[in-house]
Amino acid sequence: MQEHSTVAAFAPAPFSSQTGVRVQPGPIRLAVIDSDTGFVRVLAKRIGEMGWQHRVLTAPPRAEELLSMRIHAVVVDLALLGPQGWEFLERICDALPGLGILICTGQSTVAQRVRGLRIGADDWITKPCHPQEVIARVEAIVRRRKRTTGVTEDAPLVAGELEIRADQFQAFVGGQSIDLTRREFELLHLLAKARGRVLERDEIYQHVWGYAMVHGDRSVDVFVRKVRQKIERFSPDWRYIHTHFGIGYRFEPETSDGQPPSDATPDADELRDQTPDEVTSAK
Amino acid sequence: MNRRRSSHDDALLGLFEESGRNVERTGTLLRELMTEFPERSTLARDILICEQEGDRITHDIIHRLGNGTKLDRGDAYELARALDDVVDFAEETADSLELYAVEAPMVQAEELAEVLAGAAAAVRSALSLLRHGDDISSQLVEIHRLENEGDRISREAIASLFKSGTDPMVVIRWKDIFESLEQAIDSCETVAHVLEGIELKRHG
Repeated sequence: MQEHSTVAAFAPAPFSSQTGVRVQPGPIRLAVIDSDTGFVRVLAKRIGEMGWQHRVLTAPPRAEELLSMRIHAVVVDLALLGPQGWEFLERICDALPGLGILICTGQSTVAQRVRGLRIGADDWITKPCHPQEVIARVEAIVRRRKRTTGVTEDAPLVAGELEIRADQFQAFVGGQSIDLTRREFELLHLLAKARGRVLERDEIYQHVWGYAMVHGDRSVDVFVRKVRQKIERFSPDWRYIHTHFGIGYRFEPETSDGQPPSDATPDADELRDQTPDEVTSAK
Repeated sequence: MNRRRSSHDDALLGLFEESGRNVERTGTLLRELMTEFPERSTLARDILICEQEGDRITHDIIHRLGNGTKLDRGDAYELARALDDVVDFAEETADSLELYAVEAPMVQAEELAEVLAGAAAAVRSALSLLRHGDDISSQLVEIHRLENEGDRISREAIASLFKSGTDPMVVIRWKDIFESLEQAIDSCETVAHVLEGIELKRHG
């Protein structure tokens, strides 16, 4: 797979002067799968000006590779993929339901566009098109998806005594930092976002390290151990990360005796998991 | 052999036995380091001390070879060198963990370290028996068995690194580490080969 990536050192772009559209806090991460070098160059330039992070791929990646890029959306030219295009689209729609997909391709029939949208693409734009329109559509897709999930990536997660703040790449107990490294934080954040669900080691590794896990690699186990030790120093009466032997790990705050917190009323428990914004609106 | 052995030969065999103990200790330490990494990464320092101790013993052995011995000098030299290699490659492995900024061990490395510890224990046992003129054949068979086991693990471990999508940094660091572990185990087999030659001459 040929790839050009731009991991620009970008500042958050809360407002785009070129599109006049407010975008969500934090930069959008985008993959462009297209071999039309002229179009890609112009689009990449505009994306760079927006402060977005992007990767240009000239061949279809595997779903796991897209997953590891931790992108918000992908712009794909189906014509580039030939007859395999529909299969690729189905695959990424199945594997990455949270990923925004914009098909940006040449002339097509109504039947093709309907098929693409029914498979799971969020939008379809026909070339030739202006890069600003592509950008605006991506923004709209990402905005819609965030509205649907109701959670922004940077919103603090509160569980038990632990507050996990993505905006600071750190977790806190009673306002005190537990001094996680970047990788330890990413591991904890990933587990906490999937609260109650068992994540397999391979899946964790793919997300946190960004590569396929080699059979036998103990990195996930070692980092879970480190995170547990750091949390335990500040929150000794709680257990957060549970081992599922032979499978992986699950995040669920419990008191040390294995019971859910006895002092938590249902309402308080419910509010505990909401973001500050949700709490405010609930009130 | 031991009945007609001179005090000089006895001292030489004593040094080989000491070298065998050093090899065994190195293997044990490396196994502990690998299974309890990164928490006990300071064990690498103890392995470095073993490596320095191994150099001293090898030097002493080579020094004594000039004074005349019933042991074939070539065999004795080869044996000393192979014993030194076991410790050197084990130390190289331990050093690589820090040098390559390894974050966590691999199961295959733990298995190879276990095999090395077993082979090193068999080497120590064989050298002890050699000093007392006893049969060492079962120890040699065990070393060969473990070397084959190490070969199998090492091949599979290296193959697993080249699966699609692997971090190239993981490939670079672990390929080297697997290879140095395998070389340490291979050196145990070299020890076994030299000991077989010594045994043949003893009974020939």
